[in-house]
Parts: sequence; C-alpha cells; structure tokens
Amino acid sequence: MPSNKIEYDFLIVGGGPSGFALAHYLVDLATKSDTKFTMAILEKGKEFGSHIVSGAVSNLRVIQKLFPDYKNTDFPMEGICNESFFSILGNKKKWDVPHFLLPDGFKKEGCAILTLSHVIYWMYNKLKEKVLNHPNIQIDFFTGFSAHQIIFNEDRITGVKVVEKSNAENPDNSVFAKVTCFGDKGFLSRDIMEKYKLRDNPQIWSIGVKEVWQLNEKKDFSGKVWHTMGFPLLDGSFGGGFVYGMKDHKLTIGMVISLDSENPNINPQQRLQDFKKHPWVQEMIKDGKMLKYGAAVLPEGGYYSLPKKFAVEGGLLLGDALGILDIERLSGIDKGMESGYQAAEVLHEGLIKNDFSENQLSKYKERLMSSFVVKELKAGRYFRSAWQENPRLLKSYLPILMDNIDRTNPCLGLLKIGLKNNPIRAILDGIRLKLLMDGYESGPVKYKFDYQNIVPNFHPDRKITLENYVKETIYSRADAVFYAKTKYHEGNMHIDEFNADVCMKCIKTYDALGKDTPCVSDCTAEVHRIDVTGGMRMHGMSLENCIQCRTCEIVCPEVNLRVRPTMEGSGPDFMGL
Amino acid sequence: MPGIQNIFVLIKQVPDQSAKAGINPDGTIDRAKAKRMLNPFDRYALQAALHTKKNYGGKVTAISMGPPAAVEVLLEALEHGVDKCYLLSDKRLAASDTLATAYALYKVIKYIGDFDLVFCGLQTTDGDTAQVGPQIAERLHLPQVTYCEDFKIEENKIIAKRVVEGGYEWVKMQIPGLITVANSYHPLEYKTLRGARMVQHLLRNEAQRANYIKTITLDDIGADPVKCGLKGSPTIVARTDKVSEIGGSCVIHQGLPTEQMVLDLLRDTKIPEFIKS
Repeated sequence: MPSNKIEYDFLIVGGGPSGFALAHYLVDLATKSDTKFTMAILEKGKEFGSHIVSGAVSNLRVIQKLFPDYKNTDFPMEGICNESFFSILGNKKKWDVPHFLLPDGFKKEGCAILTLSHVIYWMYNKLKEKVLNHPNIQIDFFTGFSAHQIIFNEDRITGVKVVEKSNAENPDNSVFAKVTCFGDKGFLSRDIMEKYKLRDNPQIWSIGVKEVWQLNEKKDFSGKVWHTMGFPLLDGSFGGGFVYGMKDHKLTIGMVISLDSENPNINPQQRLQDFKKHPWVQEMIKDGKMLKYGAAVLPEGGYYSLPKKFAVEGGLLLGDALGILDIERLSGIDKGMESGYQAAEVLHEGLIKNDFSENQLSKYKERLMSSFVVKELKAGRYFRSAWQENPRLLKSYLPILMDNIDRTNPCLGLLKIGLKNNPIRAILDGIRLKLLMDGYESGPVKYKFDYQNIVPNFHPDRKITLENYVKETIYSRADAVFYAKTKYHEGNMHIDEFNADVCMKCIKTYDALGKDTPCVSDCTAEVHRIDVTGGMRMHGMSLENCIQCRTCEIVCPEVNLRVRPTMEGSGPDFMGL
Repeated sequence: MPGIQNIFVLIKQVPDQSAKAGINPDGTIDRAKAKRMLNPFDRYALQAALHTKKNYGGKVTAISMGPPAAVEVLLEALEHGVDKCYLLSDKRLAASDTLATAYALYKVIKYIGDFDLVFCGLQTTDGDTAQVGPQIAERLHLPQVTYCEDFKIEENKIIAKRVVEGGYEWVKMQIPGLITVANSYHPLEYKTLRGARMVQHLLRNEAQRANYIKTITLDDIGADPVKCGLKGSPTIVARTDKVSEIGGSCVIHQGLPTEQMVLDLLRDTKIPEFIKS
C-alpha cells in the first residue's frame, strides 16, 4: 500500500528527451544488474509531448544507443536528410552557400528529421511497455502535474511541490525523492541556480517559432533541409530561418531569433510571417494549409553559461535546465538525450552503492565533460559571442551582401562589403570571425542578461517591403494562437506581474518613443496587452492565449514578470510540432 | 453525534459527445463502438461527494452500472480521490430504461450497505431523462433534493440550495437522503497526485484492483432479472430519426458604405420585398 508520504527513489521533472533518455537507460541498466528502484515522471502538459516543440533535425546517435533496434520499430521519423543547404536570403532571391564552405554543423546529411512531440510520445509508450509487469521497477507517470516549487531541506533538494498554493501540511501535494532530476526550460532550475549560486555568467536565450504546413500534393521536399540567414532579420538581431521537408508533403517553417537583440520590438511570430513572404518560401506554401503553430525558448549561452555544478545535493540538471544546446551545430536533442544517458549511469552506480551524495552525483559532470556534449560545446564556445562582440557583421556587412544577392551576385557582395567599409577592417573582421568559429582561444566570454541589451529608442534602418505574397498564407498573432490549441483551466494565473507601477512606467517610456513594450511586442501568442483604464495605460494579460514560451520573462526590461508552470495540464497542445 | 460515514456517488460512462456514436438497428446506442467518457453531469456529483468527504469526513464510494469498459470512469473517480468503487456489470442489464436502471442501482445500494448520502448527477448526456436519481430515492424510501446547487450539513441535517424557476430555495432534509447535483455546482477539481499514483499502482496490480473496484452481477445483489434489462423496461423506442446538420454558408460584407452593405445583406435573405428595393 502507498505510504502517507509520496516518495520515490528518483523524480524526473519534465517529460522531455533528456528525462526519457535517463529513464530508459536506467531501466535497462537496472534490469541487467537486477536492481530495484522506483521513479516518477512529472509533466506539465496534458499528455507527454504536448508541450514539446523543436525544429527538429537531429543526429540519432543517442537514440541508436538507447534503442539499437529503433529502425525496426514504429519510431516516428519524418525522413532522413539527404540534402542540406545554408542559404542567405536577399529581399527577393536566395543564395545557397556552396556546400564545401559550410561548417560541419550545417551539414545535416544523414540526420533525421523529427517531430519531437511524437518522438517523446513514442518514448513514453516504449517506457510504459518496458516497465509494465517489471518485477523490480516501478515508474509512475504524472501528466498534468507540474512541479511548482522545490523543497529544500537545508542544502539538500528533497522533492517538489505540485500545487501552486502550497499547503505544507498536506502530504498529497508534494513528491519526495532521493534524487530529483530537472529537465525544464528554466521554470524551476532558475531557483536552483540562484540558491546554490551556480552561474557566473547568465544564460542567454533565443526564441524559436515554428509552423507546420501541409503542402499541395504535387510538391515534395522530403529530406531537404535549409537553414537561412538574412531576410527578414534586418535589424541586426542574430538568428535565422529554417525549412525542413517532411514526408506526406508536409513542411516545417520556423525562425530562431536571439533575444539579446537591441530591438525592443522583435515580434518573433510576425518575423516568421515576414520570412514566409519571401518569394522562395511563398513558392512552396502558397497553395498549402497551416496545420500547427508553436514556440519555445532555446538556451544559447553554451559553454560559458554552463553552471559550476551539474548536480547538487539531491538534485541533478539535465538538458535545457543545464543549457547544453549547441547553437553552432544546431543540435540540442541529441545532447539533451546524452545528458540523460550519462545521468542514468551515475544514478545506477549510486543505486548499487546506495550512495546519492553530492560526491557521487558529481561524477555526472565529469562524464559529461568528457563526452561529446561538452567537447562540442567547447569547440563552438565563441560562436555566439563572435556575432555579439562585432555588431558590424550583422548590421552592415549582411545587408550589403543581401542587396547584392538580389541585384548582382554574392561574390560581388563580399567585395562590396570591403569597398563600402574600411577594407582592412572588413578583412580582419572576417578573419576573426573564422578564427573564433574554429575555436581559436581568446579568453572567457562574459554575457549580459538578454534584456540588458535592449535599446529602447532603437530604429531599424530597413523595413520589409514585400508585397507579392498570398495573403491567406500569412497569419496574425491572434490567429496563430488558434493553431497552438491552447486550453486553460478556470482560474489560471500563471504569469506574475510583481509591481504594476513599474509596468506603467515602462509603458510610458515606450509610448513616448512610439514603440510597444518588449512584453507586448515579443510575445509569441498575444498574451500581453495595454489596457486603458481611467485614462491610465496599464499592463494586462490574456493568459488563456499563452503558449508558455517564457519570452516575456526574459525580455522584460524591468525584470517584473515571471512565468510559472501551469496546473491541470493547461496550455498549448504542440502534438505534431 | 455521529458524523458522515459513507457517501455514495452514482456515476455513468456515456458516449463522448465530441465523437460520433453508433446507433443500433433497434434505436439504442451502440456503446461498444462509441468513444466513452464520464457523464459530464456526474462530475458535479463527484465533486459534491468529495467536498462532503473533505468538509465532514466519511468515505466516498462510487457506483456505476455498465459494460466492463465502464471501469474506466471508476478509475477516473479513484484519481479524483474516491475510496472505493462498485461496478454492476451484467449482460442481462442491456437496454435498461430508467425504471429498470433505478431498480438495479437500488439493489446495488442495498447490497453495499449503510450510507448517509447518495449523490447523483442531474441527468446523463445519452438519456437526458433526469429520472434515475429520484426513482432510486423512491425505491429506498429516502427524502431527496433535486437540482441542488449548494449545500451544508448542520446538526445531521442537510441544508440545500435548490435551483427553481426564477430563483432558488433553501430546503432542509434529514440524513440519510439523496441529492441530485445541478451543473451550477462547483466544477470537478483536478485529479490528485495520490489518486493518480494509486490508479497507476492498480493498473499494474490486478489483484489489488479487485480490492478497490469490485465488479458485481445481478446474482450478487439478488436482483430479479425480470425487472432488469429490456424485459424490465416498459419504455418502447418507437422510432429514431437521424438529424442531419443543415450547414449554411457565411457571407461577410465589408469595404463598402454601410447602407450599401445592409442592402446587400437584405437582398441575400431572398425575401421578395427586399429584393424589389
């Protein structure tokens, strides 16, 4: 019979790729060694996969390790990439950078094109199958339950609370575990970072928005992968678009935009619409139909944002909580899974020795450091900062290149960059960019918080002037929410606004500049708005639209917003993204 | 003074309204084919029972009648915090109308034993009769409150707020009694972690499941098969009609001066007077 305290050996917060990789491998190891354990997996979505969005083109190296036989199962795959491009978009034309010039990270041939939400759902079902009637292992799956608060016992993490307004006396509201593994996108792990002061450098984020389209049956792009730079990011923001061809005449179109932009009004969902207005994308989607829309933030800091410890007393950080996405190689799923894989080995060792001290858990960091995860992160450690330290690259060189792609040809564009600027400086900039991207040692990097980069009176030099597009393919932000299928329970209040006066002041500042506040403009789902009450302009929220990307929290210039996990499985339904 | 000891709640599995239900040739619903869900009205009854448990103590027993698949709604009830379940499942019960159903459920309640309160949903979404609850109360010789929107227990009496036409009334009722809960009552709260954990435990452990969900037949409860099922149902389904949806097209007028758009709109109605003008 279940005891009064809800307790497990291991608790996994968040049913994502890293959490499921951990669970799968731990089950395999414990089955082999005949060890007993219990585990619970908490997922805030109403189903495993329903809050999962990803590109996703991924190397299957960890899936291969976890499921050597995956090819003979119903593993959901949208295809294998057979041709990959890196393209620079002008206003009208597209230039594919010659394949041999591409850094290895952009050569995606052989990688799988995935619908990650389906992969997660598949992993869940496989795991359920695996432990059904297992004599030694008990895994409980809790969908619609999110961890709201970490329970600390002095310096030890002992578990989490699963209700918002926690009632400490009620034992029904807490889950305890010997080791709690966090695989969240910062909803909870930020508390761990703060409590143990694990970060010198803040995490920096970018926002990914994505749509899935059903194309005309005559069009088939399956196996093709494009990554783009240039249009429509004309404001110096770092980022780009991606287009992946999937089976059954489906197409993934998305954009990733860094939130360290100076522009306070990025409006990622509308930038994606601009991207779709490009003649090249229009040609593909003009007679198609949008199926889904979704958005999520990506930790971009990489090597220099890694926390000092990967595990603390009673707690362990996985995947995005750790921040091991590799922006240079555009790979996060395999690295997340690998972190779960390595954690499983450490936890299994702990099970056998019955030792879950910090000392034992610290082996997790050692393992990750020597695995491909941190090795690759280290190799690309300057990739992000190279673009940050030199604003000329995106602000003056890229637009010249774009113009020449439209008008003449890219080689002339490269030449023009030299002519229009100081040629020696341009050449040096180019050399330095190449060296940094190759990992030439140039000392540690210091990041600022994303919101600290915002320049309120920023004015982009260029505006998008495309007119020849099919209007039906473009969606307003409010319309896009429909395609994210959000559904919330009554009484949901998952975004905190700490001080209304601070918001009013911020609104005044941006109103005077003729701009929207970053929360209103950068929201991916029409949540934040300005209410006029009694002549006062105040911040209001339509929380029922929220797709829980957490962008508002990251870009709020006053650090006045905080997004908490929702309850009762509320939120978007990203199944199929 | 003895508090509340046993609370019964009657719940039913119904075809999911959002999915298409199959109809048998005889006009009854093909329950095997339809997608299934907990009757939405019963969610309020379940919440009322759980509220009573929380505020006044006692144990909640959920009772259902239906095919073996109805165990799904009982598992759902367990997730929400119900303590024990009974499922009356017997082929001889097929095609029961409200009279036969009420008889069978009355027998189940008698079989289970003592109780303080019985909660029922207002009605079901597949039958929509709102008769079963009151009929059970009559058979049990119990006082009943129907359309109950709110209630409290004071000095072993129920003080209940009933929805009536144009307002509400407060009534006092002795315990034991039967309450049918209106859908203006508090909506069912989310499942509990402990309940969800227990259900997962029960799904793994069939032996344990029998302790929480007891499946019983007509023989167990000593019901007269003649009074059950199609035989015991005086209701005759004379005919069923398929109602086909008549879809209208939607025209949006925009961009023109308002007067012009109104005229266009009126002309669209195809009423002769308007077409003339």
